[in-house]
Amino acid sequence: MRRFILRRAGYCVLSLFLLSLTIFFFVRVTGDPAALLVEPGASPDDIAAIHHQFGLDRPLWVQYWLFMVALAHGDFGQSFYYQVPVLQLYLSRLPNSLMLAAVAMGLSLLIGIPSGILASVRVGGFWDGAGKLFALLGLSLPSFLVGLVLILVFSVYLGWLPSSGAGSWVHFIMPAFALGWYFAASHMRLTRSSMLEVLGSEYIKLARLKGLPQSLVIAKHAFKNALIPVLTLAGVNLVIMVNVAVVVETVFAWPGIGRLLYEGITFRDFPVVQGVVLMGGAMIVMVNLLVDILYAVIDPRIRLEK
Amino acid sequence: MSTPADAIRLPSRAPRFPVWQSLKRANFPIVPTLILGVITFVAIFANQLAPHNPEVGSLVHRFRPPFWMAKGSATYLLGTDQLGRDVLSRLIFGARISLVVGFTAVVFAGVLGTALGIISGYLGGWVDQVIMRLTDTWLALPALTFAIFLAAIVGPSMWNIVIILGLTYWTRYARVIRGEVLSLKEREFVRLAIVAGCSKGTIMRRHILPNVINTAVVLGSLMLGVVIIAEASLSFLGVGVPPPEPAWGLMLSDGKQGLMVGYWWLTVFPGACIMLMVLSANLIGDWLRVKLDPQLRQL
Amino acid sequence: MGMEKPDRARMQLRGPQMSRRDLLALAAASAVVGAPAVAGAAAQADQLTWGVHVSITPSWLDPAETQGIITPFMVLYAVHDAMVKAMPGQPQAPCLAESWTAAEDGLSYSFVIRKEAKFHNGEPVTSEDVKFSFERYKGASHELMHSQVASIETPDPQHVTFKLKQPWPDFLTFYSSASGAGWIVPKKYVEKVGDDGYKNAPIGAGPYKFVSFKPGVELVLEAFDGYWRKKPSVKRIVMRMIPDETTRLAALKRGEVDIAYSIRGELAEELQKTPGLALKPVVLQAPNWLYFPEQWDPKSPWSKLQVRQAANLAIDREGMSKALFLGYCKITNNAVVPYTFEYFWQPPGAAYDPDKAKKLLAEAGYPNGFDAGLMYCDSSYANMAEVSVDNLAAIGITLKLQPVERAGFYAAYGSKKYAKGVVQGASGAFGNAATRMASFVVKGGAYAYGNYADLDELYAQQADALDAKKRGALLDKMQQLVHEKAIYAPIWQLGFLNGVGPRVGESAFATIPGFAYTAPFEDITIKT
Repeated sequence: MRRFILRRAGYCVLSLFLLSLTIFFFVRVTGDPAALLVEPGASPDDIAAIHHQFGLDRPLWVQYWLFMVALAHGDFGQSFYYQVPVLQLYLSRLPNSLMLAAVAMGLSLLIGIPSGILASVRVGGFWDGAGKLFALLGLSLPSFLVGLVLILVFSVYLGWLPSSGAGSWVHFIMPAFALGWYFAASHMRLTRSSMLEVLGSEYIKLARLKGLPQSLVIAKHAFKNALIPVLTLAGVNLVIMVNVAVVVETVFAWPGIGRLLYEGITFRDFPVVQGVVLMGGAMIVMVNLLVDILYAVIDPRIRLEK
Repeated sequence: MSTPADAIRLPSRAPRFPVWQSLKRANFPIVPTLILGVITFVAIFANQLAPHNPEVGSLVHRFRPPFWMAKGSATYLLGTDQLGRDVLSRLIFGARISLVVGFTAVVFAGVLGTALGIISGYLGGWVDQVIMRLTDTWLALPALTFAIFLAAIVGPSMWNIVIILGLTYWTRYARVIRGEVLSLKEREFVRLAIVAGCSKGTIMRRHILPNVINTAVVLGSLMLGVVIIAEASLSFLGVGVPPPEPAWGLMLSDGKQGLMVGYWWLTVFPGACIMLMVLSANLIGDWLRVKLDPQLRQL
Repeated sequence: MGMEKPDRARMQLRGPQMSRRDLLALAAASAVVGAPAVAGAAAQADQLTWGVHVSITPSWLDPAETQGIITPFMVLYAVHDAMVKAMPGQPQAPCLAESWTAAEDGLSYSFVIRKEAKFHNGEPVTSEDVKFSFERYKGASHELMHSQVASIETPDPQHVTFKLKQPWPDFLTFYSSASGAGWIVPKKYVEKVGDDGYKNAPIGAGPYKFVSFKPGVELVLEAFDGYWRKKPSVKRIVMRMIPDETTRLAALKRGEVDIAYSIRGELAEELQKTPGLALKPVVLQAPNWLYFPEQWDPKSPWSKLQVRQAANLAIDREGMSKALFLGYCKITNNAVVPYTFEYFWQPPGAAYDPDKAKKLLAEAGYPNGFDAGLMYCDSSYANMAEVSVDNLAAIGITLKLQPVERAGFYAAYGSKKYAKGVVQGASGAFGNAATRMASFVVKGGAYAYGNYADLDELYAQQADALDAKKRGALLDKMQQLVHEKAIYAPIWQLGFLNGVGPRVGESAFATIPGFAYTAPFEDITIKT
């Protein structure tokens, strides 16, 4: 068991190492941060000074070595653009991203689960069609357009909701909807199909045979069982949401991770890009590691297999 | 690549490639297919159909509304954009770009992902480990930001967008296909092929591939929508198909500025085109999923 | 968003991976529970809020870090003050220095510091602070400035003298506006808290005190009643970052922000139409141009003067400005030197004459025009380039647009990768006519793909000219040659359109020529 865990952990360290290498050289291919910190036509001295300040005048492998040494001390470096530690930036944005994703997920489930249930209960009926269409619409419209229309309607014309920023719970409504609607279709699909599956199973048939009313069968027996895969899918989507929210964050000026990374890339802020990607990678890899270990605990065959 | 005909000769219970049989059955999504058919037709005959050059405009004619509105004219049926270009002609040529970008990106991602998925799943061992670590770490690079990277490196062009989207979305296929292969390789017909002395390459090509094609097709039909929306999102972030190409996503992200002023036709028409295409692809995909791939149906 | 369809999730969910999703859900949920609440910002009667288009960084709060871009001055004008800086009606206005004298020999500059000038912590601004600020300056042009200054003398707290190694006529230009070296920080405080500590809690001598800052999100400032020039009228200033233009306008319309930077095109039209909102156009010190890098290749059509002149005549600058910037760009017809710069030369007005352009093309031997390859541009200005491509196509010069994302574009432009085709460039760099010539025209210039001997000769002469008049004449001659040779097709100096809401009295936009943002902050008022 210990050997298994060690080997798995080794794989993780290896993939993170590869990720660090990839991202490190990758961002350096995309361009020169100095080009964005001076106006075109600035003196070559100024550009050289910026290179020196950021340590970009050193050989690449030295830069990488220093980066790794700092990383070993938990230091992700200093943002070129913001001139503050990357970790500090990251941690200040992370709660916003997580909260937005959580609320978006709530809304997405609020759309997806009822429409999925209705669709499964009335297969081929009006609600099946309508629910499916509403959920699929969320999938068919780019979220920047959804966000923009929301702003125009609810902020500009009706004046009900703040157009942008984070602050109070009302700030969540529009970005969370724009983000959550896109995911509603997958929750609807899953609810519908797992409901259909459960409704077709032996014990539900038995419950019906016993003469229980349809609504009770659905509410008490089928729904509970069908909900499990939906909620687990929601868990995975939540992680994905944090990563994909950049468009919604841009439209609603939401200070999250996606925006931080996007700006990092456009400003060629190498430490920010490296830090955010590595943190994201570490999260994914860590979760995978924990899962693998848990598997091995539950099912000893896995230990032997790999 | 193995053809469907090859697959039929196999000594196995492998399902045939049943797309065409299935089409005849009930529940076929007629409207979505028609919509995609029209889009394809328009894309092919764009040169004949478009009344104007989609990339050239004149500032004198900017922001003309559609023909039925007060200042509209029959010359520009759906109005003109911020640079005086004909919206209808841009939509028509945009169909071509959306289809080419959508399909080639999906196929590119599909071929790459399916190949890696089969290799990973069938060979197992360290190859599997390497490929799965790769897909894991790939997940750490959020799709959109990864795309921004590539756009920065290789510069903007329609084909680069195809490459970017393909390279971004192959992991989807790889994971699903690998799972499929893991169960396939335990099946009777694969064991028989091994006994008969087929090489690993032959087994993967002739026996495994035909059996995962359905899954790949279903995934592809669902991915088409994802890719189209992704293309539009890239335009919004300024790294999509470069102007003045008349891509729908670009039209939408350029035109959205006008929405507040009342130039709704710059947003509504390309938005509707994108929506119809993605919706159709998804409805067809849903249907294909039920028909072709009973295993996926549960999700 | 819109990228990650949950298919990936579906994959992970299949088969024996049930517990993995549970874990992911758990992990995400536990992270959410631990998230702190975001602080709210309620609008107040004595507060004005800005919707800012770029991310404000802590480095803008420290004048020593001022890079050669204009954006840091958006914040510097509020938190800090300079010895000499541009003010309404005065490009070099006495600020913390109430007066100065330049020595006859051009070897020293003496400043008298204003008695009532105070930092936010109440301490007076002294000559030690001035010396310290200059010495610790490490932003744009710091090497140049440090190499020119031999010593700084501080005979008493009120007086400071800069001794130069050799006469340098541009000293005051650089000290007052082309760098951050003349912006004064408190020596004692900086030494106490260190550079990083200073950026986190800066103390300056400007009209507004630092209150709080979330990098890239929001900066909050409060009026400094002890400011020497006057007591600021607005009590509190909030600068909120709103990246999307439409959202900025929506926020302005709804009253969430009172001043919104950069509202372009159709949105500016809407802004103009909306009752209660006002459009505030500013002309930037950033000219845009088309450049013909092939003009030194005798085989290229661009080597012919008539072809370049034809291109110049083909561009409909007025029409483009009206369509894209509501006509608020300034068409100077000087390609690379902004009109606010020292030694600017005014060329004859720009003409739009496609017929004459076609005639010139025919004379040059291209009656049917020619295929000119690619037109490179910064993708944020692709709409301008699209119009230019259309304009040039109208006289028969066909180009394919190649918009490149900003960082990539300027890197490639500067490393001479765009040797073929046409380049649409721009520059907002500080300096004067000479510095622009150095970068864009003469041999060795970072953005000069070729050179002309007569221009190089004139450049060398002006560099040695001590007399400002003689130097001016030489630089005029240079700009005239650039114009006559049609090395560039000038477009305009970019208009920068902003919006102001109903609560704002004086917005202080466009009070300082060439400055993009609101300043001076102490002049801004709320309507009563």
